[in-house]
Amino acid sequence: MKNNQTSNVGTVFRYTVQQHYKTMSVKIFLIVLFVLSIAAIPLLRSLAGSDSEVSSSDITKLRLCNQTEYAISADDIRADERYADLEVIDGPAEKDALRQYLHDNDTAAAAVISMDESGMGFKIEGYYGEDSKISENDAETLTHVLEDALHQALLRTLEVTQEQIDTVNTKVFSTVASVPDYLSGDKAVMDTSTHMIVNLYYSYAVMIVIALAMSYIFQLCMEEKVSKLVEALLVSVKPAALLTGKILAVTFFIFGGIALIAVGLIISYHIAKSTGDVSFIKDFFANTFGMNPDAIHLGLKSWLMIAACLLLAYFIGAFFSGIVGSCCSKTEDTQQASIAVVVFLMIGYFTASFTPAMESDGVNYFVSLFPLTGMFTALPNYLCGKIPLAVLLGSLAIQIVAVILLAKLAGAVYRMMLLYSGGFPKPAQLIRMLRENRGTAKPAAGKED
Amino acid sequence: MGFVVTDLFKKYGEKVVVDHLSFEMREPGVYALLGTNGAGKTTSIRMILNMLAKDGGTVQWNGEPLTLQNCNVGYLAEERGLYPKNTLMDQLLYFSALRGVPRAEAKKRITYWAERLEATEYLFPKQEGKKKVKPMRADQLSKGNQQKIQFMLSLLSDPELLILDEPLSGLDPVNTDLFKSIIHEEIDKGKYLIMSSHQMATIEEFCTDLTILNRSKTVLQGNLAEIKKSYGRIHLFIKAEQDLRELIEQAGITILTDIGFSYQCRVTGEAQANALLKTLVEKGITLIAFDLREPSLHEIFVEKVGDAHEE
Repeated sequence: MKNNQTSNVGTVFRYTVQQHYKTMSVKIFLIVLFVLSIAAIPLLRSLAGSDSEVSSSDITKLRLCNQTEYAISADDIRADERYADLEVIDGPAEKDALRQYLHDNDTAAAAVISMDESGMGFKIEGYYGEDSKISENDAETLTHVLEDALHQALLRTLEVTQEQIDTVNTKVFSTVASVPDYLSGDKAVMDTSTHMIVNLYYSYAVMIVIALAMSYIFQLCMEEKVSKLVEALLVSVKPAALLTGKILAVTFFIFGGIALIAVGLIISYHIAKSTGDVSFIKDFFANTFGMNPDAIHLGLKSWLMIAACLLLAYFIGAFFSGIVGSCCSKTEDTQQASIAVVVFLMIGYFTASFTPAMESDGVNYFVSLFPLTGMFTALPNYLCGKIPLAVLLGSLAIQIVAVILLAKLAGAVYRMMLLYSGGFPKPAQLIRMLRENRGTAKPAAGKED
Repeated sequence: MGFVVTDLFKKYGEKVVVDHLSFEMREPGVYALLGTNGAGKTTSIRMILNMLAKDGGTVQWNGEPLTLQNCNVGYLAEERGLYPKNTLMDQLLYFSALRGVPRAEAKKRITYWAERLEATEYLFPKQEGKKKVKPMRADQLSKGNQQKIQFMLSLLSDPELLILDEPLSGLDPVNTDLFKSIIHEEIDKGKYLIMSSHQMATIEEFCTDLTILNRSKTVLQGNLAEIKKSYGRIHLFIKAEQDLRELIEQAGITILTDIGFSYQCRVTGEAQANALLKTLVEKGITLIAFDLREPSLHEIFVEKVGDAHEE
């Protein structure tokens, strides 16, 4: 039997994946991850609790006690389609009468609108009966609608016309564009803060996938050294094929995990949708990430682009981790290896964080095309309209070349270091060893027997 | 044709670790690479297998540079191990797949070698009652049994060239005999074997040709029988019931060791030994043993390496 080096990448990949998923702790972890993903949105809704609004209401009557001097129109309340059929009754704030009314009407709610203690603002207190059929969220939603109705009442008192109210309430969208983009007329450019936020979150995503892969790769690079299997393996598979198979397997673990979470979240969304309102998700994103999801139009094409760019960025980080991991001979070495990868990531991350503030096209072009920073910034720069598609494609082409070169270098370093059993080499030492090996037919090194 | 190593050379910095090693195997058989610790044996093997870059020299298999594509190599390394947490069967199937052995064929071979190496109980554990039997992992085996699995890994591809680096180290006498019988079978199948060992008796048992390395240099090379013959029968062993030291020394013979009326001696030739024997018979001395023989490989090795160390 002769070796088939190309197919051995597949053999190493299959074996590594198979052994990974055979581990009980990994199985438990994936099951927990999947269950948590499925539970995420309903759980979020229950945690969001009273803050979430209902999509339809069970309230049929509202006993309203308006203690302000501003007349609230029932039509303003019924303007909200959830309360289109609401019967609004005026009533006193007297507690016993209010309790009796709510006891007699199990689909009724009550509200008292008054000035607050400081006299500088208003307060709206909503009530529902002990045995009421209406939910707390429903009553909460009604108070939000009453807030809007009060604002309308205030504006009317000032004799502001509906036209003026509409004018005041008109939404404002801002964009920033360079003169050439403005003249071309077809370019919508996001503002600096949005650019920074998009850059930041994409950088987080890149850092997370690389950081997740890093320790796996270190462990797999050392596996044969630690178990003294190196020499037996090297007569069966080329080091580069061994490393590539392992890195592809780690890619499968990481992106398989992400896919599992995505599938779990999709299921979670449908479960949440079938059992209640999901409009709170939008608020959650707005509050957590500081951006309006409606402002970002992510279609299938954009998601595919994000996935491709993330994968490419991941491979740069993974093969760099492969180079560093190849230098580890024992567990203690991984500490130094981790520092090297973190420094590598931080350079890209800080570039992605700070360059949007410079608001310079030249800087955006440079950081997009330089592979170390481009893996963090090229896609956000394109999505935010800071670079054209051609520059993004150029950046991706450069990143592909970088991945190929890093893969070759990782293969050479892995081959050279497999039989090396000294301490973690310094960069200068590693370069010297590579130079020494470059002059020979096949790069390799090791200690004499 | 066959297996030819020419001028193999390696140095780390200024230190030469393999100094122009050349040897050849024109036909199947067993070739021994001997040497002290650090002589360059393992480095030479690693270069032969392209694991280490050569600084000079060539390794040819059937007239072409040896690669893993044109030569099916089985290698039992001196520093050997297994994936500790993976099952034995998984590891054997993995190595078979890497060597291009189809899965069904691999299972047949694993079954054969498991029986041959008396490792069936580890690879195919029997079910006891209703309790499900878990496949065994490497870290559940003793060192000797792990060595059986490692030996299996090197044999699974049915290699043409088998390189065994200290194959018997760490084995008990029963398993040593088991391994020896398998090595004999591989020789009988017409394989090319290269063996490195510190156990000279083992080398003598298997090898026809050898190279002795010392501090990277070849200090002795050739056919073992011819080497021994070239030394002549100069080793004399005498055992008697009384002290013979004075008589032996009077005959001009060098005593190497003297333990309880047993003498290891070196003679200049058969004539000197015969003269001593004649004297002893004339004096009516009862001899238990009087053995004039060629030097053992151990003695040759110590002589060659010892000489070099003294230089």
